[in-house]
Amino acid sequence: MSERARNLIVGAVSVAALVVIVVGLAGRSGPTVPTPQARAYQLEIRLKCPFCVGESLADSQSGVARDLRVLIERRIAEGATDQEIIDEFVANYGESIVLDPGGKRWGIALWALPVLLGAVGVYAVVRLRRPDETPVDSEVGSR
Amino acid sequence: MIALLGYLGVLLGLVSASTLAYTGVRAVRRGGRVDESVRWSVTGLALGAVVAFAALELGVLTHDFSIAYIARNTATTTPFVFLLASGWAALEGSIVLWGLMLAGFTWVLAGKVRGDDRLGVGALAVMGAVAVFWFGMMASVANPFAICTEVVGGACASSSWLPIGNAVAPLEGLGPNPLLQNHILMAIHPPMLYLGYVGFTVPFAFAISALAQGIQGKAWLVRTHRWSLIAWLFLTAGIILGGWWSYEVLGWGGYWAWDPVENAAFLPWLIGTAFIHSAIVQERRGMLQAWNFVLVIATFALTILGTFLTRSGVIASVHSFSQSLIGPALLAFLVVLLVSSLALFATRIHLVASSPRLDSVVSREGFFLVNNLILTLFAFTVLLGTLYPLIIDALSGREVSIGRPFFDRVTIPLAFALLLAVGVGSIAPWRVAKPQILWQRTRGGIATGLVAAAFAVVVGVSSIPVLGVIALAGFVIGTIVGFFLRQAGARRATGSGGREAAWTVFRNDLGYWGGQISHIGLALLAVAIATSSALAVRGQLQLAVGDSGIVDGYCVRYDGTFQEVTPNRIVDGSTMTLLRDDCSTFVAELAPRVNRYRGASQAIASPAVHTGILEDVYLSIAGGSSETIALDVFIFPLQWLVWVAGGIMILGGFVALGRKVRRRDTLPVTAPDPEESRV
Repeated sequence: MSERARNLIVGAVSVAALVVIVVGLAGRSGPTVPTPQARAYQLEIRLKCPFCVGESLADSQSGVARDLRVLIERRIAEGATDQEIIDEFVANYGESIVLDPGGKRWGIALWALPVLLGAVGVYAVVRLRRPDETPVDSEVGSR
Repeated sequence: MIALLGYLGVLLGLVSASTLAYTGVRAVRRGGRVDESVRWSVTGLALGAVVAFAALELGVLTHDFSIAYIARNTATTTPFVFLLASGWAALEGSIVLWGLMLAGFTWVLAGKVRGDDRLGVGALAVMGAVAVFWFGMMASVANPFAICTEVVGGACASSSWLPIGNAVAPLEGLGPNPLLQNHILMAIHPPMLYLGYVGFTVPFAFAISALAQGIQGKAWLVRTHRWSLIAWLFLTAGIILGGWWSYEVLGWGGYWAWDPVENAAFLPWLIGTAFIHSAIVQERRGMLQAWNFVLVIATFALTILGTFLTRSGVIASVHSFSQSLIGPALLAFLVVLLVSSLALFATRIHLVASSPRLDSVVSREGFFLVNNLILTLFAFTVLLGTLYPLIIDALSGREVSIGRPFFDRVTIPLAFALLLAVGVGSIAPWRVAKPQILWQRTRGGIATGLVAAAFAVVVGVSSIPVLGVIALAGFVIGTIVGFFLRQAGARRATGSGGREAAWTVFRNDLGYWGGQISHIGLALLAVAIATSSALAVRGQLQLAVGDSGIVDGYCVRYDGTFQEVTPNRIVDGSTMTLLRDDCSTFVAELAPRVNRYRGASQAIASPAVHTGILEDVYLSIAGGSSETIALDVFIFPLQWLVWVAGGIMILGGFVALGRKVRRRDTLPVTAPDPEESRV
C-alpha cells in the first residue's frame, strides 16, 4: 500500500470518528444541574473530617464524618449554596477544615513554584540542544 | 532468652555493617580487591539480620509477651497469618524487616563483586554505611527486643532497653492494630513497598561509589540497571497492592486519597521511574550524566523521607501509627544523607558535567527529557503539596490542610502531558526525528485514539476529560502496537513467517518491548482511573430486612443479618442480594460486614464488592439501627482495570528484566554500543 493510500485511510477513519464524537456529544443535553448527592460529594472531598487523621469527609468511616455528611445533605436540601456550607464549616472548625487551597493568599507558592520549576525545566531542555544547527545525519534513527 | 538472642543478632549486624564500611573503603584504597575481611563483614551482616528477624518471629509465634513489642502488637487470639505479619507490621518490627532486606541485597551484591572491582567494593562500603544506620536504630531507639519490666492492668507498662534483667510478661498481648489484621493484603503490601524502598539503595550505593572515586562513564548505570528495575517492580507492586487493600478494606470505595503517606510511596516511584528512563539516555547517548546522579540520590532520599513520614507521625495520616525517637533519628539520617551526597556531587560535578548535547528536542532522547521533566515536576508538586501545611505552620503558625482537590487539579494536566509524551516518545527515532517519520509512526495511533473516543461516546460517555483520557490512551496503545506490527511486517518481508517474525522482533529487544508493555499498562491505568472516579455513581439506601432499593440500574435487597464470633473479632454481617433494576434478575449475593476487634474501640466496615465486566458494585455498611441498615452503594465503571493495568505495568517490568542477560557488565563500557543501530 502506498504512503498516500495509508494517509487517506487514516484521514478518513479519523474524520469519521470525529464526526461520531461531535454528533454524539451535541445530541446530548447540555450541562445538567448536578444532583444533590453529587454536590454533596464534591463538598465532602473538599472538607477535612474533624478529629480524624488526614481523611476527608468523603473518605472517613468515622461516626463524626457520617453525621457531617448527613448535615451537608440537609443543608443542600434546605437550599444552601456550596460556599455557604463551606463558610459554615470554616466558622465552626477553623480554616484548616478546607482541604483545598483554592486562590487563598497563603497558597500562592503552591501554584507558583511548580510553574516556575516547569519553566526552568523547559528552558534547561531547550538549552541542552546543540547550539549550532549543524545538519546531523539521522540515519541511526530513521529505520 | 529470645530477646537476648535477637539483640545479639542486631549487635552482630551493627558491628558487621561498621566493619563492612571500614574494610570496603580500605579495599578501595588498596586498588579495589575484595578481600576476606569484606566477605566476612557481609556474612556477619546477613547472619545478624537473619538472627534478629528469626528471633522476633520466633517470639511472636511462641507468644513471648516478655518482649514489649510482642506484648503490644500481638495476642494469642491473632490468626496465624496476621501473627506472622505482626513480626514486621508495627514500628520496630518494620525496621527489622528493613534491615533483613538491606542485608539480603548486600549479600547478593557481594556475590557479584569479584577480583579487582573498585566500583563494586565502594558500593559495598556504602551499603555498609547505610546498614550502620538501620542496625544502629535497631540497637537503640527502635529496639524491638526491649523487655517488659512492669505489667499494669494486664498490659506491658514499661520496658527496659537492654534485654537483660527480670522480665515480666502480661498474660495476654494487646493484639495488632485492627487495620493490620483485617485483610490478607496487609501481610503482603508493606514488604513489597519495603523491597522497593530498600532496592533503590543499590543504585544509590553505586552512584556514591562512582562519584567518590571519580569513576566516569556509565559503568555504575549498566551494573545497576537491573537493580533499579527490580526495585521499581516491587515499589509498583507495593503501591498497587496498597490501593487494592484500601479499596477492599477501608469502605469508602476509593483506592487513593492523596494521603501524605501514599504520597511518600508515590514520590520515590515518580523519581525512580524518571531515573530508569534517563539511565537509558546515558547508556545510549552518554547524555545526562550529572542528572542521573541527582535522580538516584533523590530517589534514595525520598525513600528515607517516605519512611520518616510514615513512621514519625509528623504529618497526620492514617498510616502513622505511633510516635517515638525513630522519627528524629530518620530525619537526622535524611539530613546527613542529603548534605553529604550533594556535597560529594558538588565537588565532582566537573567530572560529569561535560556530556553530549541534544541534536533535536524532537527525538527519542528529547522525549526522554520531556518525560523526566514531567515526572520531576509531578514529584515536586506532590512533595510541595504534602509538606506545604508543615511549611506554612512553621512560617506563620497557621494551620492549613491540603488534600485531594489540590492534587487532582495539578496532577491531571501533568498526567495528560505524560501520556502524550509516552505515545510520541516511545516511537521517536534517536537523535533527530524527521516529521515525516513521526507522522508515519503515529498516524495509526491518532486514528486509534479518535476511534476509541468515538466508541466511548457511542456507549454513553459524555465527560470531556474522560473522553480525553480515552483518546490519549488509544493513541498510546495504537502507536505502540502499530510500531510493533510495522517492524514485524518488515521482518516478515525478509522471509520469515508472521508469528515467527513477531516473536523475533519482540525477543531481540526485551528491554524496549518490556517498556512498551508497561506503557500500555499505564495508558489502561489512566483510562481505569478516569472512568472509575469521574463516572462513579454514589448512592445510599436505608433498608429494613426484606426491603429493596434501586441505585443506578441495580436493585439491592436486604435479606438478613448474621454474626460470626472468632477469638480475635466479632463480625456483624448483612446478607444482600444484588439484582438488576427490575428487582428480579439475580446478579450476586453480597455480604458487607462490620468487624469489631478485641481491644479496639472503632469498628471497621468491610465492604462487599461484585466485580462485573463493565463495573464494580461496592456495598459498605454506613450505619443503621436495629430496624434498618444504612448502606453505601457505589458503582465504579471499569474498576477491575485499575488492578489489571497495574499488573500489565509490572509484567512489562519483568519482560524488561530479560534484557540485561545478553549484555551484562562484562561489556567494556567504552566499546560502541551494539544496540546503537537498533530501535
